[in-house]
Amino acid sequence: MMRILIIEDEKELSNSIATYLGRGHYHCDAAFTYREGSELLAMNDYDCILLDLSLPGGDGIQLLKQLKADRKTDGVIIISARDSIDDKINGLTLGADDYLPKPFHLSELGARIAAIIRRKQFQGNNLLQFEEISVDLPAKTAMVNNKPVDLTKTEYQLLVYLLNNKNRVISKNAIAEAISGDGAALYDSFDFIYVHMKNLKKKLASAGADDYIKSIYGMGYKLTMG
Amino acid sequence: MKLLQKTIRSYILYSVLVLLAGIPLFYFLVHNLVLKAVDNDLLATREILKPRISDALVRNAPAEIHFLDQNITLRFLSVRSDFTKIETQDIYDPHAQTKIPCRVLQSGFTVNGVPVVLQVSNPLPNRYKLITSIVLIELLLLALLLVGLLLINRQLSKTIWKPFYQALQQLRGYNLEKSGALSLPTSSVQEFNELNASLCELVERNEKSFAAQKEFTENASHEMQSPLAVMQGKLELLMQTNPLTEEQALLIGGLADASQRMARLNRSLVVLTRIDNNQYDLIEDISLNSVLRHFLGEYRLQMEEKSIGIISSLAADNILRADKALIEMLVSNLLGNAIRHNHKGGSIEIDTGTGWLAISNTGSDSALPADKIFQRFQKQSNDSNSTGLGLEIVRKIAAIYHYDIHYDFINGLHRFSIHFNNR
Repeated sequence: MMRILIIEDEKELSNSIATYLGRGHYHCDAAFTYREGSELLAMNDYDCILLDLSLPGGDGIQLLKQLKADRKTDGVIIISARDSIDDKINGLTLGADDYLPKPFHLSELGARIAAIIRRKQFQGNNLLQFEEISVDLPAKTAMVNNKPVDLTKTEYQLLVYLLNNKNRVISKNAIAEAISGDGAALYDSFDFIYVHMKNLKKKLASAGADDYIKSIYGMGYKLTMG
Repeated sequence: MKLLQKTIRSYILYSVLVLLAGIPLFYFLVHNLVLKAVDNDLLATREILKPRISDALVRNAPAEIHFLDQNITLRFLSVRSDFTKIETQDIYDPHAQTKIPCRVLQSGFTVNGVPVVLQVSNPLPNRYKLITSIVLIELLLLALLLVGLLLINRQLSKTIWKPFYQALQQLRGYNLEKSGALSLPTSSVQEFNELNASLCELVERNEKSFAAQKEFTENASHEMQSPLAVMQGKLELLMQTNPLTEEQALLIGGLADASQRMARLNRSLVVLTRIDNNQYDLIEDISLNSVLRHFLGEYRLQMEEKSIGIISSLAADNILRADKALIEMLVSNLLGNAIRHNHKGGSIEIDTGTGWLAISNTGSDSALPADKIFQRFQKQSNDSNSTGLGLEIVRKIAAIYHYDIHYDFINGLHRFSIHFNNR
């Protein structure tokens, strides 16, 4: 069980994150103030810390400094308002691993957390696995039953995103943003996702994998066993 | 016409008029005065001579009366005639051996019953010289006076109006988004002080309302981020719930789209306020072509999706000194618009030259209102993915670096061109 600490004063957001991550194999602690965050950090070790910068009682950057001073190796993702890009530079130079500006998709957060934890725990050996499907992240190759499947860049991105958020419904908006970033706004519709997803499913099926990618009507997709 | 020129022009016009009308008038007046004086002299001479002639007639015969002064002659008449006539005549002067103008008095009267005609003449050349000298001196004085007045006026105007021109210069260079408060010097002229005070007050009020507006947008866009994040999170959680009917799923999908749009709008607003606050100040040399190539790659899928053909000849590269994030926004917004407002199977042309970039695209058949498109929320399409802030961002970035941006509609192509003047 991975331990996550959410230091975020917006309780509803903190709860949403905890609920979403709780569906994966994550255990979440929540701190709503600077002091709570500081105490929890001192008491426990976490695999990943989600850190909001504007906290009641102090600046989140100070918590980051404290963490680094204590030589903790916890992964840190700053989740903060988008207009604090200086904080971003500041945060990354101080040793945060990633920065996710609000508002963000929980699935994107899930993907970032998964990436950081993998990076921290399995140095080098970076394999994403779901049943007979696996993805070698450093080599950027997808495999079914250990045989490589030839995917386009977009199909590969889709597969990784699904694997990072398995058993959860991912919205088309989140997928579009994950693939195209700001350029997602330039699509007239989400038809392109449908096309790429169809191709991905076809390739996985012809490589011998079961159809785990479920299309969820009106909302998005889900990688699941059932 | 400048203020100084206008006042001085009036002065000069008046001076020239006075001089032109004044010189002949003055000459005429002095001339008349001199003649009058001469005439009076002549008449006085006659009155002085009358008793002497009378005395001489008592003692001598008329033929023996002579005057030492060759300017005076006396003739005797047989018939009495009383008259007095003064006129200017040219009379031969034996000294000068030429005729010279003289003032001549001829007067007929009787002395002791003898009718005589007395002629007294007074040569004028010396008087004329005097007149000329007087007129010349007067003229010189007048001219000196006028020139002096003009110069003093000019100088005075310059110093008196100086605060006005200083205020004008500051106002001209004033930019609400950049300049701070005005610093206007105090003047000894009350009106200027009042003007300056009013200007400073006006600018201060403007500044305050601009700051308030900026702060509001800043706060609003900042404060919106957390509830937006909550909303987006809850929606994603809602998507995980089971069972969901198709109807519910469609509703949630619609909500997710709307919240995504709001997030995008918020992102653009944040960018705008950050530009307003000059928070993009990492100036470096940027190759425009490499930024263009980056976004052509970034948007390749989007263009393929719409089967948009790209015609680009990145011939001349422009190295811009600017914040890279801003140049990227400039290019991505222009290129993004060219894709968004294009039709399926359309085309985009990218031209670059030394100091300029032009992006043209096919799209709607009529020209866009060039005066409105750079204003915020002036959407030219009902595309829900368009925030209506893209060109406002482009305009602001162009304004920061003094780039000229133009929109034209040529041969069915919507063309946005930028001239980079800062080099």
